[in-house]
Amino acid sequence: MSSKTMIEAKNITKQFERKIALSSLSFSIKQGELVALIGPSGAGKTTLLNSIAGLVPLHSGELMIENQPLGNYKRGKQFAKKIGVIRQQFDLIGPLAVIHNVLAGKLSEWGIFKSLFSLLVPQEKEVAIRALERVGLEDKIFEVTATLSGGEQQRVAMARLLVQKPEIILADEPVASLDPARADDVLGMLTKIVNEENQTLLASLHSVEYARKYFTRIISLKNGEIFFDLPTEKVSDELLTELYQLKEQV
Amino acid sequence: MTKLIPSLQLHKRFILTLLLLFVFIWSLTSVHWNAELYHAGGIPTMLQIFEGLIQPNLDLDILMVGLESTWITLAYAVAGMSLAIIYAFIVGVLASGSLTSSKFSRIISKVVFRGILGFTRSIHELIWAWLFVAAVGLSPFAAIFALAIPYGGILGRIFADMLTDVPEQPILALKSSGSSRLQTLVYGYLPLVWADFISYTMYRFECAIRSSAIMSFVGLGGLGFQIQLALADLKYDSVWTFVFFLIVLVILVDSWSNFVRKGLTDHKRVKGFGTGWFSVLFSLLLIVGSWVYITLAEKANLFELLSEKNLEYAKKFFVGLLGINQENPAFLDAESWSTALMLTLETLEMSIMAIGFATIVAFITVIPAARNIANGSLTLKKSWYNWILYGFIRLTYIFSRSVPELVWAMMIIFIFKPGILPGALALALHNFGILGKLWAEVVEDMDPRPIRNLATAGASKVEILFYGILPIVLPRFLTYILYRWEVIMRTTIVVGFVGAGGLGMDFKLAMSYFDYTQITLLLLCYMILVIIADFASETTRKAVK
Repeated sequence: MSSKTMIEAKNITKQFERKIALSSLSFSIKQGELVALIGPSGAGKTTLLNSIAGLVPLHSGELMIENQPLGNYKRGKQFAKKIGVIRQQFDLIGPLAVIHNVLAGKLSEWGIFKSLFSLLVPQEKEVAIRALERVGLEDKIFEVTATLSGGEQQRVAMARLLVQKPEIILADEPVASLDPARADDVLGMLTKIVNEENQTLLASLHSVEYARKYFTRIISLKNGEIFFDLPTEKVSDELLTELYQLKEQV
Repeated sequence: MTKLIPSLQLHKRFILTLLLLFVFIWSLTSVHWNAELYHAGGIPTMLQIFEGLIQPNLDLDILMVGLESTWITLAYAVAGMSLAIIYAFIVGVLASGSLTSSKFSRIISKVVFRGILGFTRSIHELIWAWLFVAAVGLSPFAAIFALAIPYGGILGRIFADMLTDVPEQPILALKSSGSSRLQTLVYGYLPLVWADFISYTMYRFECAIRSSAIMSFVGLGGLGFQIQLALADLKYDSVWTFVFFLIVLVILVDSWSNFVRKGLTDHKRVKGFGTGWFSVLFSLLLIVGSWVYITLAEKANLFELLSEKNLEYAKKFFVGLLGINQENPAFLDAESWSTALMLTLETLEMSIMAIGFATIVAFITVIPAARNIANGSLTLKKSWYNWILYGFIRLTYIFSRSVPELVWAMMIIFIFKPGILPGALALALHNFGILGKLWAEVVEDMDPRPIRNLATAGASKVEILFYGILPIVLPRFLTYILYRWEVIMRTTIVVGFVGAGGLGMDFKLAMSYFDYTQITLLLLCYMILVIIADFASETTRKAVK
């Protein structure tokens, strides 16, 4: 396995008005790593993911994606092939059929006419069907997405990522609104796909248990700072208790 | 077959869109598209009107007249609304059935009072005005009642709906603690709905301003009267001066109502004399001021209205409408019916054409008119021209909706020959601004997460529009189209007054010839149209779900 550095953060800082969301974070993630991002609510997990996805501008510091500054990537096709995002199920277009939501992963490659025509007669249908087969939803191709259950919608989002094929996948609380069985299902599938495609995964999670079960490395955030950054097997229960402690120890 | 059903399901919206498009194209075929459509001098006139728009008459005396007529327009709107609120409150409470105890009496009161509300709002305020003037002569009260009756009907219906939708638990809790029916109303129902009721009333008040302005077409003063006079004298620069007065008045009322609504939704407790109390005081001042002005300066006298002479006139008028002692009442005459039904069809086509034009313009402009598109927060793309485009389109929207359709129609018939096209254009000019504003709010309120996700997946602006924004907002867009279409249907009769074709033109003729049974016939046709509109829009709404 190659060991390209995919994401490198150098002293990145982000403030919202007066509140510090990220204070001088530095870390680097190599290709093929499965990294879980944990920490109490408001620690800055979502802000970190959003800034890597280029959704929020940084205050200072530098973010390198494959040894190039984030700003150098043009939005659109080039960026879509680098970074893909999956969130809770709210990032699908509910009234569209499943197949269109999956094919949305192709929009960066398609021209306007092809994408408009595809709404009537789905284009590159085989690609979508293959992706849906991999997530086990091949029988729901033409269903209206909003009618699917939460776990199924999350699998549609994964099928879209399969079509989009980014090198890095950012997952923001991908299982936050699912019951334990569905959550296991979704995370198992997501990490399997990432392994098979030799992608890199950075996922924020509210549950330490899932982080330990599916990820190779855990980065924990507290008050916008890195609390620890360790391979999964080295994360001890004491560290975790301290991470989630309510009161600040002065 | 089983394969066909999901694909039909999938393309349901597309098929519906095609169907609606087809209906619109059908309505276009009712116009003979040639040079005969406009007057020989139509284009120079249009240029003159446009010149007046850029250089309105700003002479001091015109401005003073404008200021005075603005006050008259405002005073009538306030007086009309104050009566409408009283009417809406009483009949609305009765129609909600919240004061009744047994199931039987509830159903009876619902049916009776909802029927009253429905009847009073289905007739346009200008027609009420005309009926009042015909019955009791030119009196300020004709205008005030004409405003109060349909507006009370709309407000009362909304009020009744709100009372019916009140959550049950607090009401049951009050009842179980032994409160009387009136106490339950005052302590339970009213506090639960009053915030919504006030904000809806404020919205209606803005509409009442426009209605009050066009009351002048039955001979009452105000901005509409001045616009009419200036148009008759072909003084287009003064026309625009008065139109601008109207726009400013509408904008002021609109911002006040936004301000009140914001105060109601924020739920902030302000110490001392808060802005809410300021608004209450201001409203009271307006109401008292308007009534004092109307009774003193306009010499309105309610008792004079009920004089024996007027009662005699009124009796004659209504007897005439019913066709009593008439040789051959028009509403029993087959030939009159067939001509009237032709006009009804024409009016239907006019309304479809109008909503079609309005939809096209609103559709082209709505995306840049949404704040979250302008600042780039939805699509993650920013351009320097976004805010300029946003400001420009929003300004056109305000301009379009502030001017009543009747005033648009009066200007347009200087360019086009009478027919359904000028009527449709006037209705479209007034409605695209409303439609655009309502739609832009839908786009602004939508969940940004799915759209942003498409943007990160590399979709272009157009792709985001068709894959993200449209599928989510289209059902609500359609609801607004249908809602505006119903309103347009009720207003077609009004633009007909100034010669824009359809039932309205015939209505005006019948009025001038005192052909009362013909008026009854036209009102019947008009009700048929309203029923068609209700039915069609209900069916379409269900089809989208």
